[in-house]
Amino acid sequence: MVLEHAETLPLEVWFPLALLKWLLVLGGVAIAGLMVGWLSVAMRRGPVAGIRIVGRLLAATVGDILHISPRRVWALSWLAVRESIRRRVVVVFAVFIVILLFAGWFLDPGSTHPARLYLSFVLTATSYLVLLLALFLSSVSLPADIKSKTLHTVVTKPVRPSEIVLGRICGFTAIGTLLLVTMAAISYVFVVRGLSHTHELTDDDLHAVQHHAQGQPAVREGLTSRVHRHRHLATIEPSGRGRIAMEQNHWHDLEIEKSDGKTTYKLSRPRGMLVARVPVYGTLRFKDRDGKDSKKGVNVGDEWTYRSYIEGGTLATAVWTFDGITKKRFPESLFPKGLPVEMTIEVFRTYKGDTDDPENIPGIPGSLSVRNPATGEMVEAVIFTAREFTTDVVYIPRRLQTPDGNVLDLFDDLVSDGKMEIWLRCVQPAQYFGAAQADVYLRARDASFTLNFIKGYFGIWLQMVLIIGIGVLFSTFLSGPVAIIATSGALVGGVFSGFMMRLARGEVIGGGPVEAFIRILLQQNLVSDMEPGMRTTVAQMLDVVLGYGLYVAASILPAFGEFSFADHVAYGFDISGAVILKNTCRAAAYLVPLFVAAYLFLKTREVAK
Amino acid sequence: MQSDVVIETRNLTKVYRDFWGRQKVRALKALDLEVRRGEVFGLLGPNGSGKTTTVKLLLGLLFPTSGQALVFGRDATDVTKNERIGYLPEESYLYRFLNAEETLDFYGRLFNMPRAVRRQRAFDLIELVGLGWARKRQLKEYSKGMVRRIGLAQALINDPELILLDEPTTGLDPIGTREMKDLILRLRDEGKTVLMCSHLLADVQDVCDRIAILYQGELKELGRVDNRLKMKEVTEVRATVLDQSAMDEVRRVVEKHNGEVLSMGNPTTTLEELFLKIIRQSEEHPGRRVRGVNIGDRGSGMGIRE
Ligand SMILES: Nc1ncnc2c1ncn2[C@@H]1O[C@H](COP(=O)(O)OP(=O)(O)OP(=O)(O)O)[C@@H](O)[C@H]1O
Ligand SMILES: [Mg+2]
Repeated sequence: MVLEHAETLPLEVWFPLALLKWLLVLGGVAIAGLMVGWLSVAMRRGPVAGIRIVGRLLAATVGDILHISPRRVWALSWLAVRESIRRRVVVVFAVFIVILLFAGWFLDPGSTHPARLYLSFVLTATSYLVLLLALFLSSVSLPADIKSKTLHTVVTKPVRPSEIVLGRICGFTAIGTLLLVTMAAISYVFVVRGLSHTHELTDDDLHAVQHHAQGQPAVREGLTSRVHRHRHLATIEPSGRGRIAMEQNHWHDLEIEKSDGKTTYKLSRPRGMLVARVPVYGTLRFKDRDGKDSKKGVNVGDEWTYRSYIEGGTLATAVWTFDGITKKRFPESLFPKGLPVEMTIEVFRTYKGDTDDPENIPGIPGSLSVRNPATGEMVEAVIFTAREFTTDVVYIPRRLQTPDGNVLDLFDDLVSDGKMEIWLRCVQPAQYFGAAQADVYLRARDASFTLNFIKGYFGIWLQMVLIIGIGVLFSTFLSGPVAIIATSGALVGGVFSGFMMRLARGEVIGGGPVEAFIRILLQQNLVSDMEPGMRTTVAQMLDVVLGYGLYVAASILPAFGEFSFADHVAYGFDISGAVILKNTCRAAAYLVPLFVAAYLFLKTREVAK
Repeated sequence: MQSDVVIETRNLTKVYRDFWGRQKVRALKALDLEVRRGEVFGLLGPNGSGKTTTVKLLLGLLFPTSGQALVFGRDATDVTKNERIGYLPEESYLYRFLNAEETLDFYGRLFNMPRAVRRQRAFDLIELVGLGWARKRQLKEYSKGMVRRIGLAQALINDPELILLDEPTTGLDPIGTREMKDLILRLRDEGKTVLMCSHLLADVQDVCDRIAILYQGELKELGRVDNRLKMKEVTEVRATVLDQSAMDEVRRVVEKHNGEVLSMGNPTTTLEELFLKIIRQSEEHPGRRVRGVNIGDRGSGMGIRE
């Protein structure tokens, strides 16, 4: 599973701390900014005048932000929209259509996960186009206005710099939103129509497989016609009911009509392809091989330390505690087989068995037990076989039998206060299961795919607004081309901020940028030690300095990847309200200082220079 | 209490610096000026003498290197003063993708004017500057003078108390120039204050009450126009047409009083007047070529030195 960060703490848990941190960082930056401002004035006019001027600026800032007039912001936004239209933003739209037309050729609806492919594609294409457009529009607008001096006529009206900045941000956001909404609508149609298909099935395709007693009708099976490079197995029961097996992660509903001796089979559009699964995550803890609580499982020396491992055939257990498990959330009518548990268990083998053929390697058996955290009552619910790289679905039945023959009700006896524990054990000795918190979840009722699709585009929208904010900030003090480059830098840096952070912390193999560069020049590999000496020392010292710079950059820049919900949509996971809320707050946390900084740059610059 | 001084500069100095902070030009040197309510003040000087720089400093488009610029008693960087100011830049820096109505509506919004007021003002001003026929055309299709006119309309959108005009007549045809001058005088009659920059002396002479002359950023002359221009050594008499004998008689009278006749005869009018006359007649009889306009047919003039 890719969505390792899928779980999100509730708002009331992270918000106060995040707010505090935000205020501290901003406070620090503000104080540093004030000092720099004061120093630069004091050098020219003396320290006292410096205090006076900086003080006046502060007062003006408060005034200019408090007295923003909606009508002026509206006028300036309208101007930005008009300007964008003049810059022919529609061209981007045409490009988008052309891209989709080409994509229609090369996207294969017959691949294993066609929905994933299509959705990733449209989301990526839209976000690239929209972000590039936002970047371009926002960074060239103000410099062009300054260069053509049209800004002179504007700032000699009672317009505050705050209104100019806000007007730009709002205007470009408006035009970007319009574009994004249209692209989303077109993408939706493109995906749904691109994936939609049906198969044909006739009586000739079906043959009897199972004979009951003489004279009784038999179960018949057969393959449907081949569409999108796959066929489904159709099973028609003697009762006349039929179903279509899962293939390429979807199935079809089957409708059978009999009229004057002829039977027609009609398959619906694909089902289960475009979904928004709602995972209910639990919190994970471990028990060691003796059954004692331990913080982590075993580390099997895998470089991928995200998962912890439990040893088979011992008491080592991975325990997930779930909350909010109620009859209402999992009604029997919708969950007839019981509580669905989806898991991606990693299998770590110490021996492979006697075959090298991956198809024939047997799965490793494991067990899931359910335990009531309040009463301690526990029942083994499911035995399953884990294979690498597949997501298994198992169901915990409503009624469970204890070894001594009692029948327990899942909700009445094993859940208290909505809390329930699931214990995972590996049954086979000397083999290991690896698990992380997000690997096992309960699957609640699916949310609306359409809504999830919209949420995915909302993620792009957040990124777009951030880019616009950054672009406008740079455009207040840089010329157009330079502002474009700076904004692109911020975008790329933000996308790779995780890597930059690891580089800054020296966690990347091969050393810092300078060391890595020397290694490239000397054609040295990444792991061997550098020859000690002057050169290495200097390079490593430079790397420390650069590391600080990278650290600051990586901490400041918004990590654009974290705003993207493309994976959620493509892999069919519902984007929870908590995630949306968190990312919205995070975007706002960036936009507020971006806005104030842009205001200050515009306020303190000579427009006519 | 409202002070009578609308614009005040104290020791206003501007040094243009390049990116590295090196001094490039001292554009304005210790300028002290006062412009009072209700006067038309002319800022004169050759190209590059610092007129535009002064205006930009007054508007807060530039920050002074030292000294102070006060408008309505407030610092020039205070945006609220702009509520009462109209500014016509050297060239009309307007958005070329808007039409005349949109332009005025946009600037009206920046003054936070409600819709109805904006509409009315825009309509009146477009009529005032004579662009009623082109109100729906984008500014990029306008001729230079048309842009200038809409620039003027934009400067008046808020019915300002103080109007700063940077070379208001450049790009305008003689009618436009005349209208501009009439407008300036009308604004003065309405009690507004006008500060205009120009190097077209005729324009300044026609409308300005007081002038300042800048040369290379320094103030060289300051005072009332009528005083400055009076030629104390010449007396001028203008009369309706006289015949030769009458002219001789006048000449004798002058000589009797120890004066010297410098010139006598039919004066020529200016090309401006001729041009205006032709246009006026064309408007009265459209489609016909104007003939037989006599120049200077209304009198003879004399310049007499005493
Ligand atoms: N942005 C600038 N950077 C550097 N020097 C400038 C700048 N603007 C004007 N100057 C210089 O300042 C001086 C005064 O210029 P200013 O534009 O005020 O002249 P002006 O009196 O308006 O002239 P004109 O009649 O040509 O409009 C000139 O020497 C000019 O070169
Ligand atoms: Mg000038």
